[in-house]
Amino acid sequence: MAVSAAVGPGRAGSTGKARRARWREGPAGYVFLSPFLLGFMGITAIPMLYSLYLSFTNYELLGQTYDWVGLRNYRDLFTNDPQFWHAVQVTVLFAFVAVPLKLAAALGVAMLLNRERRGTGVLRGLFYLPSLIGGSVAVAIIWRAMFDRTGAFNSLLAVFGVEGKPWVNDPDWALETLMLLAIWQFGAPMVIFLAGLKQVPTELYEAAAVDGAGPWRRFRNITLPMLSPVIFFNLVLETINGFQGFTSAFVLSDGTGGPTDSTLMYSLRLYDQAFTEYKMAYASAMAWVFLLAIGLLTVLLFSTGRLWVHYADEEGA
Amino acid sequence: MSPGTPHADPARPAHRHRTRYLALLTAAAVALPLGLTACGGDDDKQSADPNRKIELQVFWWGGPARAENTQKVLDLYTQKHPNVTFKIEQQPNAGYFDKLATRAAGGNAPDIFQLDDGSLAEYAKRNVTLDLTKYVKNNKIDTKDIPKGLIDYGIVDGKNAGIAAAQNTPGMIYDKTVAQQYGLEEPKVGWSWEQMIAWGEQLSQKSGGQVQGIMDPSADYKALWLWLRQQDKELYTPDGKVAVSTEDVTRWFELWVDARKRKATPTADLIHTANTGDVSKQLVVTKQAGASFLWSNQLAELQKSTKNTLGVSAYPGDPKGQFARASLYWAGSRTTKEPDTVADVINFIVNDPDAAKIQGVERGLPSNLKNREIVAPTLSAPEKATVALESELNSKFGKAPPVPPKGHVKLRSELITAAETVQYGKATPQQAAEDFLAKAKAAVSG
Repeated sequence: MAVSAAVGPGRAGSTGKARRARWREGPAGYVFLSPFLLGFMGITAIPMLYSLYLSFTNYELLGQTYDWVGLRNYRDLFTNDPQFWHAVQVTVLFAFVAVPLKLAAALGVAMLLNRERRGTGVLRGLFYLPSLIGGSVAVAIIWRAMFDRTGAFNSLLAVFGVEGKPWVNDPDWALETLMLLAIWQFGAPMVIFLAGLKQVPTELYEAAAVDGAGPWRRFRNITLPMLSPVIFFNLVLETINGFQGFTSAFVLSDGTGGPTDSTLMYSLRLYDQAFTEYKMAYASAMAWVFLLAIGLLTVLLFSTGRLWVHYADEEGA
Repeated sequence: MSPGTPHADPARPAHRHRTRYLALLTAAAVALPLGLTACGGDDDKQSADPNRKIELQVFWWGGPARAENTQKVLDLYTQKHPNVTFKIEQQPNAGYFDKLATRAAGGNAPDIFQLDDGSLAEYAKRNVTLDLTKYVKNNKIDTKDIPKGLIDYGIVDGKNAGIAAAQNTPGMIYDKTVAQQYGLEEPKVGWSWEQMIAWGEQLSQKSGGQVQGIMDPSADYKALWLWLRQQDKELYTPDGKVAVSTEDVTRWFELWVDARKRKATPTADLIHTANTGDVSKQLVVTKQAGASFLWSNQLAELQKSTKNTLGVSAYPGDPKGQFARASLYWAGSRTTKEPDTVADVINFIVNDPDAAKIQGVERGLPSNLKNREIVAPTLSAPEKATVALESELNSKFGKAPPVPPKGHVKLRSELITAAETVQYGKATPQQAAEDFLAKAKAAVSG
């Protein structure tokens, strides 16, 4: 096209020519970007900003009023809604238990699968599989059936003479069952860990072994520091994911967050406010508090990250 | 499952959910003003050509049987009025109201849709429904063969917001086979709550715990409501506030704590499964309990899921607590371009004898009394049992209360949570009652 023809010589020519070329290059760039831009503006940016506006109004899903109420929704949220705090508690507990365990499982299995043996390829695939399907509704339904009073898990326990519980239907165990489902999907961070492990130079291990370092020392002093950027990456990603957990909690509790609100995740409460109680403005406020909280947590992770994340290329500089 | 995305991770569904929520907001933002302007100029289109092509959207929830009979009824209407065709949407219960609310918010509600008494006031108060008063007055919707109580049960703020599609009443569905097996009498209309609990206790004892008594209905708002009405109290005041007191709810929960101690009701997790679950999870069907508390017209549906023979009776206590209630309503959209046709179609579904024959008692007894007679000979055995119960109760029904207010759906789900905290031993009846009323009052007033 004419555009690409003009771009090449533009650089070598006079500054005026270059500016003109750049000017001509700009619109073309935006045209090529437009599928993304339209989607991003239409489906993400504008609605998000609109929800920010809504959060300062009294808009209800089926209502027609958009009266400005200032910070009332936010004030109600923090001072007048025990369910909100309950949901925060459930979500934080969920994320703080499920995420570290999931990462530990991912790292552990990644290290086992790091050695090239026959069948490791197949095993990697198998361990990765839950990550592909684990977030789906179908798996949540199967999970619910497995961890019911008469489910497969209790049948397994019965073989060992242990009497099970109605896990998903027991308020003391329902959240733990959800955590287990999240941990089971450790495949995605595992693959990333595997890639990270491949990057660790084998000479380091060899040298350490010659110096008499045992497996634990090698893990502590070589694997962990070398892997720390990857651990950090997974930690940030999984923490954000953990906080946003919705599908499995929704399916396991039929959308109620039950039994007795024990699985009332933040996003579930948000959905309930928006679509069952039709309080769209209030739900928008919840969404923005959520966004800020996750943002803050991510900033916090990044600032602590400086203390323990070790980048090999910084070392060289 | 998403084989196309190489990096599918657990966040995807949550993200998708949020995207949907955001997409909805844009849709609402864009469509609402359009909807508002669109409904401004409705009235001048009425004198148009009577044979013009009209397509109406119809939306309801329900199982395959309902899908089939409603489709047939609409086809019949098209046969008689070839210029009117229908675009049908139907789906299971779950998600129906999410979809309806989103569409209504976008100014894009279906022309005709199904509601129940939990949602009627919500949709009427928020001005989503078409005011049908005019059509009831000028007989375009014929109500002379429909009991007044049923029509009144569709009035919100003095306007006919919905027309009763059918009638039902709470019904206790019990297992005849199991009762016979353990030599127990069948429950009868007018049994006291105490008698019913004793029945459950005996069933539990005689079956050695195989059948764990009867379902604990403390989470069932129908049971609480009827129990209150038997003591001349109500769940809601006439102006739509929560009427029930902490003392009453505490006593209600205590009644069932006592039943639990006597082993007349099942373990908490089984009750929870039945509370959140669908028809197939009801304990009378899974044979874990001898009786479940549901709706009278559900007998036929439940009977399909078990080999044991089921029966239906009134809820325990004085039957004056029971009332004839619109099981479902047909409502129109305020933004429809064809309000006259909408009213005519609703009239046809509810009153036409041929339409009645197609529908049977799937939604409940036909609202139209003449149609009840027409339908009677075509019914199956369990359907006949339902009709027999309602005929028996007809003379005993108490006065129907007004339609439950906005927030009723929330009250229902809060009662489930509160009752379950008691069943799981997480709260005393008093604590649960206080917690329930605080949340219920907030939901119903707000």
